[in-house]
Formats: sequence, C-alpha cells, structure tokens
Amino acid sequence: MATAFGIITAGRTRFHVEGLEDYRPIGSISFLGRYRLIDFPISNMSNSNIDRIQVYARSNSRSLVEHVGNGSYYNINSKRGKLQVLFGEENSVNDVYNTDIAAYYQNIEIIERMHQNYVIIAPGYMVYVQDFDALLKQHIESGADISLLYHKVNDAKTNYRNCNFLDMNRQKGVKSIEVNDAEKDDRNIFMDTFVMSKDLFVKLIRKARSVSSVFSLVRIINLESEDLDIRAIQHKGYFAAITDFKSYFDANMNLLNIDVAKQLFEPSWPIYTHTTDSSPVQYFEGASIKNSVVANGSLIKGCVENSVIGRGVIICKGAVVKNCIILGHCKIGDGIRLENQVIDKWAKIQNVDQLIADPDRPGYIRRDDVI
Amino acid sequence: MKQHEMLAMILAGGRGSRLKDLTNKVAKPAVSFGGKYRIIDFPLSNCANSGIDVIGVLTQYESVLLNSYASSGRIWGLDTKDSGVYVLPPRERADANLSVYRGTADAISQNIDFIDTYDPEYLLILSGDHIYKMNYDKMLDFHKANKADATIAVIGVPMKEASRFGIMNTDEENRIVEFEEKPEHPKSNLASMGIYIFNWKALRKILVADMKDPDSHHDFGKDVIPVMLNGGKRLFAYEFKGYWKDVGTIDSLWEANMDLLSEANELDLHDDSWIIYTEDATEQPQYIGPDAKVDVAYITQGCDIEGEVTRSVLFTGTNVGHGAKVIDSVLMPGAEVEEGATVTRCIVADGVHIGRNAVVGSADSENILLVAKNVKGEA
Repeated sequence: MATAFGIITAGRTRFHVEGLEDYRPIGSISFLGRYRLIDFPISNMSNSNIDRIQVYARSNSRSLVEHVGNGSYYNINSKRGKLQVLFGEENSVNDVYNTDIAAYYQNIEIIERMHQNYVIIAPGYMVYVQDFDALLKQHIESGADISLLYHKVNDAKTNYRNCNFLDMNRQKGVKSIEVNDAEKDDRNIFMDTFVMSKDLFVKLIRKARSVSSVFSLVRIINLESEDLDIRAIQHKGYFAAITDFKSYFDANMNLLNIDVAKQLFEPSWPIYTHTTDSSPVQYFEGASIKNSVVANGSLIKGCVENSVIGRGVIICKGAVVKNCIILGHCKIGDGIRLENQVIDKWAKIQNVDQLIADPDRPGYIRRDDVI
Repeated sequence: MKQHEMLAMILAGGRGSRLKDLTNKVAKPAVSFGGKYRIIDFPLSNCANSGIDVIGVLTQYESVLLNSYASSGRIWGLDTKDSGVYVLPPRERADANLSVYRGTADAISQNIDFIDTYDPEYLLILSGDHIYKMNYDKMLDFHKANKADATIAVIGVPMKEASRFGIMNTDEENRIVEFEEKPEHPKSNLASMGIYIFNWKALRKILVADMKDPDSHHDFGKDVIPVMLNGGKRLFAYEFKGYWKDVGTIDSLWEANMDLLSEANELDLHDDSWIIYTEDATEQPQYIGPDAKVDVAYITQGCDIEGEVTRSVLFTGTNVGHGAKVIDSVLMPGAEVEEGATVTRCIVADGVHIGRNAVVGSADSENILLVAKNVKGEA
C-alpha cells in the first residue's frame, strides 16, 4: 500500500517541442496516436496504487485539463482518490522566476495538508514504465533522504538535450545533478523523478524560496547535497525523453518496432487514457498499410507506411503517407504524398501535391492549417 | 427527484440459442458486434442519445456478464444523479413464488413497483438484441401527435419474408387495424421491431389483469397488443427507415458485421452526432506489421496484424500472425490466428486460437462456420 502522493509536472519546462507546444503544454502532446504524454506518468501512479495525484500546469492548459478531467479515466478511486490540476500563476514576466519551486510554493498549503508521508515527483514529458510502489519501498529501505531515478544511456552526445544527468559515486550516492553537456555518450540521464518524504519536500521548497527566487528543485537539492543522503536508482526498460521536436518524432517512430513497443505496453501494466468512443478503423478498397500504428475512428483509403495515425484521421484515395505522425482529425486529400511530416490536429492537406522533408529534419504543419 | 416523462425497459433475457456456442455463456444482448461493441450498446446508446435517462434492463438467461456490464451506467453517460441503468433479474417475493419471467409482458409486470417509483407518463419497451440507430424522442412526438394509447415501431421488410415477422396492418393514418403474428398470407410488409411506447397508466391496468389470466402467454405480441386492439384502443405504427438488423443466427450476425465494410453502409458508426457508446478497452492502438496486407476491413484497438486481412471485421485484441490469411471473416475479441493459418468465411469466437498453418472454413461454404474451440496447428 503506497503512502505517497504523486506530483506530475506538465507545464512549460526547460524543454520545448517546437510547434506542437505552441498549442498545449508538453504533457498533453499527443503520443502514439491514442495517448497524451501525461497518460504514462498518471498510469504509472494509478497502477502503483497512488490515488492522490497533483498535476502542475502553467499556461495554455485547456487541453490538459480537458484531457485528465477528474481522473476517472485513470482508474483512480472516485471517492478516496483525487486527481487535481494545480496552476502555477505566472506572476513574473521574466520566465526565470517561474520555476517549479514557485509553483509548489504557491500551492504549499495543499501539499502540507496531504495525509501521505512521501511524495513521488514524475515529469509529464518522459515516457517510461515504473512501479512507484516498488520504488518507494526501495527508497524507505535504503534510508536515503532522496532517491532519484536514472536511465543509463550511450548516446548522450546527440540526444537528451537539456536533460540532467547524475554524477554518482560508486555506491550510487549522488554527488550532484548536472546538465547534459553533450561531452560524453555514456551518461546516467536523470529521469526528473524524485522520491522523498513530504516533510523534506516542504522544507526544500521553503529553503529554496529563502535562498533565491530563481531556484528550481534541482538547484536546491544540489545546494543541500552535502547534508543529504541522495541515492540513485537505476530504471530499466523503455525510456524516452521528449525534450524537443526531433526527440518527439523519433520516440513515436521507434515505437513502430513491435519489440520496442512490447517493453512499454505490458498487459499487466495498462496505460489509461481519455476515451473518445470512436469507432474502429475502417480500411476501404485500395487501401494499403504497413508498419504503422492507427488509432480508432480513422478512415483509410490511401497508402500508409511507417506512420503513426491519430484518432479520426481521414487518408483519402491515392494519398501516400510515409514516415509521418498525423495527429487527430486531420484529413490528407486525394493523391497527396507526405514524407517525414508531423501534421498537427485538425489540419487539412488538400491543395498541394506533396510535402516531403528530410528524415533528419521532419516537417511540421500547424494545427487547423489548410494547405 | 426530477420528473421522467418516459422510462425505457429493455428486454434482455433471451438466450439467442440460434447463435449456438456464442451464447453458451453469455446472453445474446452481450454478444460482441462491430469490432468493439456489444449488441445491447445499441438500445442503450439510442436511449442516451434520445434523452432517456432511466433504463431498466430485464435479464434472465446467463446474466452474470450482462448484469455487470449493463449496470455500468457511466459507459453510456447514464450515471448522473437523475439517471441510471438498473439491471432487473427475476426475484423472489413475499406475496408470490415468481422466480422467472414467463414472457415479455410478465417481465414488465413483475417490475411494476420499479416503474411506479418513477411514475412516468410513458413507457418505452425495447429489445436488447437488435442493431440499429433510432431517435426514440421522435417516436414519442409521433405517439403524442396521434393521441395514441400505444405506438409500435415497424419497418418495411421484403414481402416474401413478411411471413417470418409480426405484421401490422394499418389504415391511411397509420392506425393499426390488425396484428398478425407470422401470417401465412401477409397483407402488409410492415414488421414489428419489438419497440413499443405505451401510456403507462393504461398499460399498467392491462398488465395487472394479464398477470392473473391463466390462459395468457404474458407476451406483448400474443396477448397485450390483441387485448388493446380488441378493446378499441388507439394503436399506431411508426415507420422506421434506416438500418435495422436482428442478428439471430450465425449467418445474420456475420452479415451484419460485413455490412459495416461497405462504403455506403447505412449504420455508419463513424457518425459523431449519434455515437454508439461501449466499454473502453484499455488497449494500445492497433499495430499493422511491416509484411501485413489489409484490404477492406474494420479493425479496432489492441489488434496486432502481421498477416493478410481481407473483407473482415477484427475485434479488440485479436492477432493475425505472419503469413496468416483472414478472409471474409469475423474475429471476436482476443481471437488469435497463428502464423500461416487461413480462416475463410468464419466467425472465430472470443479468445479462440487457430493454430499454425491450420485451415478453417472455405470460400464456397453455404453457411458461415462458427469456430468456438481452439484449432490445433500443423507443423
């Protein structure tokens, strides 16, 4: 039985997914056709019996609030549990002051009133499966003040831009949390996932505020690291950090490999999402499809290859869609050829012959655009 | 409590024995249809979309799954303070030893107390085993405009098939002058759809009398409607135009699924102004593999397609292995067609595995084959 409450950071972060993030906070960006990024941390918490969850939103939150609702889609007990969306008011014009600590501090009474003794903080922009109940047990048994989750990678020079990594000693004690400087490929990428007691969390928030109003949770932990027992816990299995447009594109494409997808989707660990009651996908005469993931409600009359098709998408006759991510409710007109594109929701591609981009620099079509 | 003008009661107690092994363990209304739905989703969604928010579901045969399914009112949005789906199986009582529903009318009679708690003006009686989209509110308008005592929804069927149905003979004003159950020489092609609107107070009296009548079958078609006609009551036929199917047999269940594949299919489950709601499966979106071929198909979430699918309907969580072929078939939830197997003109029942390289069904079979047991593979 978990005695932790959950915090999910879903608002604007130091990462930026170009284009897509103009319309919604990073946590409610569509992922793999059917999901939003935030479904993964919420499902992890729900499956770990954490039923008090605070989602921190900042600006542009309509789609996020609409998507998570009151948590009923996530199998959270409707009386005992609660999913709250908390807003950090962006009081400051200068964004350096709008830190995670600022948002926690604005809601500190709510945090202090939680009955649970521990808090687990997870990001709304990283996709992974983690049993938080097991993580909490490991944290309690170790006697550490703070446990941090990390993933060992060997491509940190080219990927994980702006992520942090953990500088550890041999006993997995964390010396400091550093920004990925792209100098080494082998890094222990910090998954922005923290476990600590509620009391320490509150203490750190207050301390950070008294030291500097630009301090983030990571900064105050680094500052206090001398006095704290901070340990690293290694995560194994599927991990993707959505830190920019390219990593978003790559993470979707990577999951077209069924063996990779199987690491993320286990029957015993369901990923919940907001249902839209759409009909099954209909494939018409002349359609062809290969190596793709298709969400319900779509009508496929053309050719689809190596692509992720969102809900309620229409691919017209003779259209060819290759290596694309088509978000919900788009329409790709007759005979149009698309390669390496991300087409944002409700866009209609109908007046061009083709949109072809280089696989290393995928194209992006804005929401509601008619091209 | 908010006043409910019309209450709906869905008759969902039938076994549907002509569906053979598909209804061994579940009642017909709970049988799967159209990739992700169950048959009873249609009347329940129609109610929700027509603004009817209190619904009784009368269950009897093999009702464990159906009872738990239908009682989840949230699926159809029927879980507000004033709405609900109430499952009503037969019960033992202090004043009588009633233990089963003796007929369609008896099922309502035994729940008069339930209906009375809502004191509705009108009662809508529906069948839990038909597939169609219908706005019952429009039927109620028609009922009121005619100052009718009862209104029966009818649909035109081919004249040569009319002798299989309960046929309504009407005058120019749609008033029913005669009702014939499966007539040898039908005078009209207007078949009863088993959908009735009654003025509750009048029906209540007839039901109370019917319960005590030892010669009654306690059936709407055989007893209640004739009693009303003989008593000179105003009965009207409301003609429904659109898709309607009684999926009573394996062949007709298969056909109704295949109807969804046609480009101009009348049922149109993609129409977002009249959504058919169903239980959400927490499954990932469908995955179509690098060597797959899909041509004319209805496929839902949780499917993993590595082989070929032609003119087929695939339900939640079905798998089609490498080199396997599924042709003119229906794969019920969780069915699996392993590598190299071929399935032609079949309904493969829930969770059934067709082994490696096995061949089931044939392209020139007269009837659709129901595969209800695992089929062993070959080397």
